Amino acid sequence: METAIRQHASASARMRRAILTYVCCAFSGPVGAVGTAVGTIIESTATVDYVLGGTPQTTVSNTTTFLVAERIDVVVTPQSGQVVVLVNDTARALLFTITNTGNGTETFLLAMNSIVTGDDFDPLPASPDAIFFDTDGSGDFNSGDVAYNPGANDPVLTADQSVDVLIVNDMPGAVADGDLGRSELIATSATGSGVPGTVVAGQGDGGTDAVIGTSGGEVTEFGEYLVQEVSIDVIKTQAVTDPSGGTEPVVGATITYTITVAVVSAGTATTGWVSDPIPTWTSFVPNSITLNGLAVSDATDGDVGEYDLSGAPTVVVRLGDLTLADGLQTVVFQVTID
Amino acid sequence: MKILTSLILILAAVAAAAQEPLEVQTVVQKQETFVNDAGETERRLVAADVVVPGERVFYTITFTNSGDEPADNVVITNPIAAGLVYIDGTAFGPGADIQFSVDDGRSFAAADTLTVTEDGQSRAAQASDFTHIRWVMRSELAAGAQATARFAAILE
Repeated sequence: METAIRQHASASARMRRAILTYVCCAFSGPVGAVGTAVGTIIESTATVDYVLGGTPQTTVSNTTTFLVAERIDVVVTPQSGQVVVLVNDTARALLFTITNTGNGTETFLLAMNSIVTGDDFDPLPASPDAIFFDTDGSGDFNSGDVAYNPGANDPVLTADQSVDVLIVNDMPGAVADGDLGRSELIATSATGSGVPGTVVAGQGDGGTDAVIGTSGGEVTEFGEYLVQEVSIDVIKTQAVTDPSGGTEPVVGATITYTITVAVVSAGTATTGWVSDPIPTWTSFVPNSITLNGLAVSDATDGDVGEYDLSGAPTVVVRLGDLTLADGLQTVVFQVTID
Repeated sequence: MKILTSLILILAAVAAAAQEPLEVQTVVQKQETFVNDAGETERRLVAADVVVPGERVFYTITFTNSGDEPADNVVITNPIAAGLVYIDGTAFGPGADIQFSVDDGRSFAAADTLTVTEDGQSRAAQASDFTHIRWVMRSELAAGAQATARFAAILE
């Protein structure tokens, strides 16, 4: 008989626990990677089993409950590393990822600042817009990226959600090789920011209190531009062939000029060209210009070079954008000694 | 006569269960820092009505034998709610052996003897694996006596 009573008692305890578990889970929200979802109700109930006068008994306590409020937190992660730039470069972007590390849905306000201590120069924020969403997901700034418009398209992020943002600067002229320029992105929770632990009453999701987390609800992170001047080696050599087959620079001798251009550092030399006035005591040999062994016409006709007579007679060859990978560019032309 | 005695015993047992001579009360609190009259920062426990992820909560279970006989084999069991992670070393109960479950309350053992299987490998259980805490009183709870059990957890 005693056995039967014990079984009855433990069965009843199990049943009560089962009911409590059900109640608990019916009111629980999902648990995300960031934290327990705002609005979740956390319940706890203790059970005491004991024996009184030889009879097993079970008593269940009251159920404690508390409400999970919204924690406001944000992380900004610079993604670009050092961005190598040139003097007077325009529209150079730094990429950042903004992540809502709170447990509710938050709107974030964005700002940028390029006057930052600890660097050598101040980049110049692009105008009229300098903050863009990386709309096309390329990680770099281009025409498909939508400008951030405060109050109109402030990013709204659910818990654990991220958005990629670019800040865009032009480079000033007065910078030198090796100079660093910093520019920072500031992300601020629209609900509130300030001392961690500050309660923003009733402003959390679903009317719960919002509490400022360890980030203070506002994060500033900087990215860095590194000025790297492109080093270019230019070498000009000449070879004389006289009419009698020698190498004397006599009247009627031909001088072959060879100009080699090479980028010997990181970076890009943009729209480079060779411009070489011919000596006054010589005459240009028609159709003698070549670039990397290919003929370049004398006329100003849309190819890469010409013999330009608009001022002092000058050989001009345009090389375009050059990098280390392009290797040696060789321009050759000839003159005769008058 | 034997049948009648049995019936009386059953009735007595049912009556005892209805009275529930052990009263159990659970309270949940959290810490708050405040500046005292001397201008120093102090911490105190306050009611936990609203909690944000990362905050600690402190549970206190108080049980009182309000009957007139001692209670034997007193065992308090408290599940660790979903969203809470037990903080290692915080379970406390004078005169009680503390055990934990890693299998949703099916079995209990001392913390350092529990193992869990993860990716086919057995490893020592960690505080975050615990699903239930159990306090096993080493001696009877005398009539009129009160005891407490405590633990702390962090809201994920």
